[in-house]
Amino acid sequence: MEERFEPNIVAFLCNWCSYAGADLAGTSRMQYPPNVHIVRVMCTGRINPLFVVNAFQQGADGVLVSGCHPGECHYREGNYHARRRFTLLRELLVFTGVDRRRFNMSWVSASEGAKWREVVREAVEMAREAGPFEQFRREMIGW
Amino acid sequence: MDLEKLRAAAGNVLSRDDIGYLIGWGVGSYGFRTAPLFLRDAGEVHRLTFSPLCGSNLAVFLTMEYDVAAPAKGAAAKERIAVMVKGCDSRAVVQQIVERGVDRERLFLVGCPCEGVVDPGKVEKKFPGTVEPVRAGWENGAVVFWTGGQKVTLPGEEVLSAGCLDCSHPNPVLADIMPCEEVKLRRLAAREDVSMFEQKSSADRWLYWKRIFNTCIRCYACRNACPLCYCSDCLLERLSPAWLFRSVNLSENAAFHLARAFHLAGRCVECGACERACPVEVPLMLLNRKLAREVYERYGFQPGLDPDSPPFQAAFRPDDSEEFIL
Repeated sequence: MEERFEPNIVAFLCNWCSYAGADLAGTSRMQYPPNVHIVRVMCTGRINPLFVVNAFQQGADGVLVSGCHPGECHYREGNYHARRRFTLLRELLVFTGVDRRRFNMSWVSASEGAKWREVVREAVEMAREAGPFEQFRREMIGW
Repeated sequence: MDLEKLRAAAGNVLSRDDIGYLIGWGVGSYGFRTAPLFLRDAGEVHRLTFSPLCGSNLAVFLTMEYDVAAPAKGAAAKERIAVMVKGCDSRAVVQQIVERGVDRERLFLVGCPCEGVVDPGKVEKKFPGTVEPVRAGWENGAVVFWTGGQKVTLPGEEVLSAGCLDCSHPNPVLADIMPCEEVKLRRLAAREDVSMFEQKSSADRWLYWKRIFNTCIRCYACRNACPLCYCSDCLLERLSPAWLFRSVNLSENAAFHLARAFHLAGRCVECGACERACPVEVPLMLLNRKLAREVYERYGFQPGLDPDSPPFQAAFRPDDSEEFIL
């Protein structure tokens, strides 16, 4: 039987909403694909777009950014800034030929464990369809 | 373009008490080059020039000056810097003012309406191996060169930078004096490079950029020529944390170009100085124009026009588009 490609997804989660949402999914014993590697940040506004580029360089097949719903940012406006930034970053990545399905963003609140599960499933499926990311992955020689 | 009028005006500016020095263009040492010229003496204005060869953006020097230490307490007010600006250069200055990279009070802008500057790659193909300094000018919409004792007239389309062919602001948007008459807006060619490139398939787009990123030698000339890449502590040179490795390979080059383009999103005024500075002809403006178009179409924002507007990336609207969010 041919083995299914299992993508690596790096997920940058806001401490106040999505990280707690993912925690809720865990404590509620919801099953979701184990392909996501979560990086907790204090706010989506703290995520430098270069984090995303660096994640792709270092072996991610997909990147997910998730934070509070608009209007619910712990710091009042961080997610609004992130939304502008990552809309542009995604257009730039797509323009250089990176598959549109590799980079996603979502709003998941602390009470939305079930939504988190769906978001992860969707992101993993999309990255799986896009296949392994090799375009500008860093070649680790002698590491 | 009346050079004598411009020089006379520059002389008047330099004889003012509040002006420290003037940054302008001088004749270069070879071929189609011009060199930046820093003048303190009104008697030296004959060294100034302004022609289609003045492709560099002199606004880069303003932010360097601003970084020098503040004068001691009680010292006289700092001198003002006069600078010659084309239409696009003035937009860069406006953007610097918006970002508080420079202090408007310390600037004195000498506006130079411009009918387009030459693309070094294009003129090199027209006049291969020219070493003697060339003179150039605009004449009835065409570009004229005096080289080897001959006068050569060429249509703008053949020698001007691609960005100049559909220039939207040939006249300075901000200037303290304008010694010469304004020029008419004329779009020689509509530029559709971004939309044409978008029609390619994802794989073809990457094949193109892979080739381009592989040719880049990471000399950072594009950064140094850019009036808006002026952070004194550039992330490209940081070692801790090392955002980018210094090795020149596809991965790091791709990350560099993405970072450079992204840092100019909503800031780039499309003067094209980066592209003219590039020794390996990387189409940097294709990335810049893509982002400029996204910023304009999605958020209706154009940088470098209004000194009182907020910086694009420091602002937001609650109803910004979010169609890609899961």
